[in-house]
Amino acid sequence: MVRFPGDDRMDTEQQSQQTQTGSEFEREPVPKSARLGFKSFIGMYAGEHCAGTELMIGPLFVAAGVSAYDLIMGLLLGNALAVLSWMFLCAPIATRSRLTLYYHLEKICGRKLVTLYNLANGVMFCFLAGAMVTVSATAVGVWFKFPMPGLNDLYPNSVGWVAAVAVVGGLIAIVAAYGYQTVAKFANIAAPWMVLVFLAFGFVGLRQFIDATGAEVTSLGDAWELAKTHIWKGGAPQEGQVKFTFWHVTFFAWFCNMAMHVGMSDLSVFRFAKKSWYGVASSTGMYVGHFMAWISASILYAYQLHLDPADTDVLPGPLAYRAAGVAGLLCVIIAGWTTANPTIYRAGLAFQAISPKSSRFKVTLITGAIATIAGMFPAIAMKLLGFVALYGLILMPMGAVIFVDFWLIRKFGLQSSYAGLSKRTFNWAAGLAWFVTLTICLVLVQLGWIIDKLVVWGIFTMSDRLQWIKDTFAVQIFFVSLPGWFVAAILYIVLSKFYQKKVRPSGVEQ
Amino acid sequence: MRPILQIVSLVALIGLTLPSVIFLAGRMELNMVKWIMLLATIVWFVVATPWMWKDNGAEKS
Repeated sequence: MVRFPGDDRMDTEQQSQQTQTGSEFEREPVPKSARLGFKSFIGMYAGEHCAGTELMIGPLFVAAGVSAYDLIMGLLLGNALAVLSWMFLCAPIATRSRLTLYYHLEKICGRKLVTLYNLANGVMFCFLAGAMVTVSATAVGVWFKFPMPGLNDLYPNSVGWVAAVAVVGGLIAIVAAYGYQTVAKFANIAAPWMVLVFLAFGFVGLRQFIDATGAEVTSLGDAWELAKTHIWKGGAPQEGQVKFTFWHVTFFAWFCNMAMHVGMSDLSVFRFAKKSWYGVASSTGMYVGHFMAWISASILYAYQLHLDPADTDVLPGPLAYRAAGVAGLLCVIIAGWTTANPTIYRAGLAFQAISPKSSRFKVTLITGAIATIAGMFPAIAMKLLGFVALYGLILMPMGAVIFVDFWLIRKFGLQSSYAGLSKRTFNWAAGLAWFVTLTICLVLVQLGWIIDKLVVWGIFTMSDRLQWIKDTFAVQIFFVSLPGWFVAAILYIVLSKFYQKKVRPSGVEQ
Repeated sequence: MRPILQIVSLVALIGLTLPSVIFLAGRMELNMVKWIMLLATIVWFVVATPWMWKDNGAEKS
């Protein structure tokens, strides 16, 4: 799945951390006795990255007009880069500091800035959980046959759809509020089954293509030919979709879990690892969920388009039902449910950290209600590729801040963990590095639109130079996080130079 | 009892995957694949839940 900060086991830890129960080393390094072996991480990553959202992402690649070479090679490279990011950016810090992300951030940024980070995280969780509810609700549509949203629908398009999302989302929210741990256990049981259902989707889809095209497939070369000419044909994307090339696929695969590796959310996970190289365990999740599952799901959608090119709807329920019958439908429901459950729960925790006195039960229910309302709007699920990229982008600058603070800042004659040292609750150097980086990245992403608006409003007239600026500096959201990381890192160092001069560890401002 | 449940669980997972492989080879009807997958799903959840639930509980404690 496109995984989101924390995990089942770590949620228990995160909860205790945020509710200050003091049982999971939330404000101290993980001791030697609590460290986990390599196998724990292999199982955790393999299970978590094969989930409901995979059923949207695979088809959306096809809708984006991806070719076979670009998809396969892009996924191989992008997933390798993601694994390397876990291994060389996140895990080394985690196994040295052995602190949770939140405590680590608190020492650098101060409590108030961490609260703001929590808020951003919580809001994104709500929308992502909404997308997962959307995925599950498409399975209900197979049974009740109400009109379901199309690829370019932004708003709910039928009463049946709204009712289905309300029921599915409501149930998920209630279960998350009452029995989060039970669903987390159930998710662990479902994980191996789900992985194999995804694999079956791929095998069934492939055979359906062979039958539909009459292709003779007796070797890998024949299969590749079928893939190139019928499954991932490349060419123009579907209306309203961005064309995906090799680089789009590579960067998407690399950055779809950016919040976890580059953004350092998995500090909370790898602080339990005995060795930093355990980061390589993430490869199980990448190559099972973000390779096999995406490819399988994309084959199902490509087959739907092969049968009827006008049928562009990306609806995991009908896709899975066509391939694997009731077992496929159950897979869609369970995949959406088991991933929405922890996501809603985590969003609740993030919001509760902002208002610690509020009841977790009520906060989770309200969060679930927001996610359910978001799920009624298919725009999030149908634009999931862009949304996931935005999610990584929003949390990425804090990862750069942590990296610089841990490895580099002392080389510039500055202090690390400065909020802790100066007893400040808001480190403006870190805060500004975050806000300014986000602003720069979003301006670059929207540059074309901004320039067009300025021309329409008569502020500028379109000239060759303006067109050159537009063509040269506008960056798609899938790519902007890479330069953005360096912007955040440099900004944090430069701003810390000023901030640490002005705010002394004693807390006396000069 | 536990080893038996684990063996049956493994068989259920094989039963879940194998029909699609046979279908890919062109030696089984899709309807049959779907039925066997459903059966394997039921067996998996019935048989794997008791021992995996305990394992999860043990990990947490």
